[in-house]
Amino acid sequence: MRNSAEVVIIGGGVIGVAVAYHLAKQGCRDVLVLERDYLASGATGRCGAGVRQQWGTEMNLRMSIPSVKMFESMNHDLEYDGDIEFKQGGYLLLAYTEVGWEQFQKNVALQQQHGLGVRLCTPEEAKEIVPHLNTEGLVGATYNATDGHCNPFHVTDAYAKAARRLGVEIQTFTEVTAIRRSNGQIVGVETTRGPVATKTVVNAGGAWSGQLSAMAGVEIPVRPERHQILVTEPVAPMQGPMVMSFHHHLYCQQTPHGSFIMGLGDPSEVAGFNQRASWQFLEEMAQKITWLLPPLRGVRVVRQWSGLYEMTPDRTPILGGVSGVEGLFLATGFSGHGFMLAPMTGVLLAEAILGLPASLPIEKMDLGRFARGELFYEPSVV
Amino acid sequence: MRIKEHPILKFERGKTIRFSYNGQELVGYEGETIAAALHAAGIKELSKSAVLHRPRGFFCAIGTCSSCLMVVDGVPNVRVCVERLVEGMVVETQQGRGELGGAV
Repeated sequence: MRNSAEVVIIGGGVIGVAVAYHLAKQGCRDVLVLERDYLASGATGRCGAGVRQQWGTEMNLRMSIPSVKMFESMNHDLEYDGDIEFKQGGYLLLAYTEVGWEQFQKNVALQQQHGLGVRLCTPEEAKEIVPHLNTEGLVGATYNATDGHCNPFHVTDAYAKAARRLGVEIQTFTEVTAIRRSNGQIVGVETTRGPVATKTVVNAGGAWSGQLSAMAGVEIPVRPERHQILVTEPVAPMQGPMVMSFHHHLYCQQTPHGSFIMGLGDPSEVAGFNQRASWQFLEEMAQKITWLLPPLRGVRVVRQWSGLYEMTPDRTPILGGVSGVEGLFLATGFSGHGFMLAPMTGVLLAEAILGLPASLPIEKMDLGRFARGELFYEPSVV
Repeated sequence: MRIKEHPILKFERGKTIRFSYNGQELVGYEGETIAAALHAAGIKELSKSAVLHRPRGFFCAIGTCSSCLMVVDGVPNVRVCVERLVEGMVVETQQGRGELGGAV
């Protein structure tokens, strides 16, 4: 392992490797990625694998729409020897209350302003899109055909391989134990495999990014929150879109492999690093999904697991530099949708680190917004 | 093939029952699994592998490996190694992933 690097990235999830790749692509090749476990071992490899553009804030739209464009050509652009399994079967979002429906109408107006081909659907139209949908109690839905699914393991692998080809070093099973500062400047990190001198550190530590930032003397408002998921046995393709209900805190999508991946948010989940799977989840998920999508009662569950969202107060990521600590960059706080925003995050962080013109006004998404009171508040999170 | 004599185990066969396999009429014993009856009838290929479509046979025998998924009475993905034989059952080789519609 090298003992100095121009940039050290902490975290070998999809965010970390995407930032590494885009740095190298821009010519900054002396980059070291440090991962405590194995690549995609945290939230990336545990996520619901959805790719969505139907967001309720301008910044999430401006992050997600170009990210989808990048997923579309990723196999080719990263010269990947596998397949990222990008499937654009759409997202069908369900509204069960008048308040929810009004929010969807506002979201769709904003989304259409940003060029998204999203539309409002009656319950009957929603049933045409997903014929096995139980429309009981449904007020309306929104549908965007270019949303979909992508394999987070392959995307991480594709970025990691492309980054390595450009000279990036990626070290797994290497934990950062301290971040060294000299006055207001980052000067290095300590790891379980020795020190590394660097003037630039990227914190892409997901749920653990709060602990990492604290090592540099910076407090960030991220709250680790467990979310649970299950996957079923594969069956023949029968459901194009991701079906998502904020009212029931659930989502369910059939992957190209044929299995269904579904998850449930629990509003009473306490903050913490608990990543155990519970039988209560299995029971509640099964009850809700067999009510909403009745044919799924004929399919067996293969596996269940959980992962950690890193929630911010406005459910919007924290990106870019930190005032007062030269050389510290944040790429965290994705609040459960980091995988789908990873491509654009890679671009934006590389630009910010190298001082290049920014593709988006990333400064609005900085840590300082919480002190300034300039929050976004994303309404559409399960 | 069936084991008829065993140094430790004693076999008490149930009554003979009939079932069909891909349209062919076969017999087995009440109380045994579908896979056991198929094996006794000389049928070794239970499914095809998902990607390369190679033959898959009796493997784990405890319902875990997915090597024996078949369509039984119209229901796909039945693990015939742990599903007991019933008089008149219609057992078919599964093509691809199996249509969930049949299970509803």
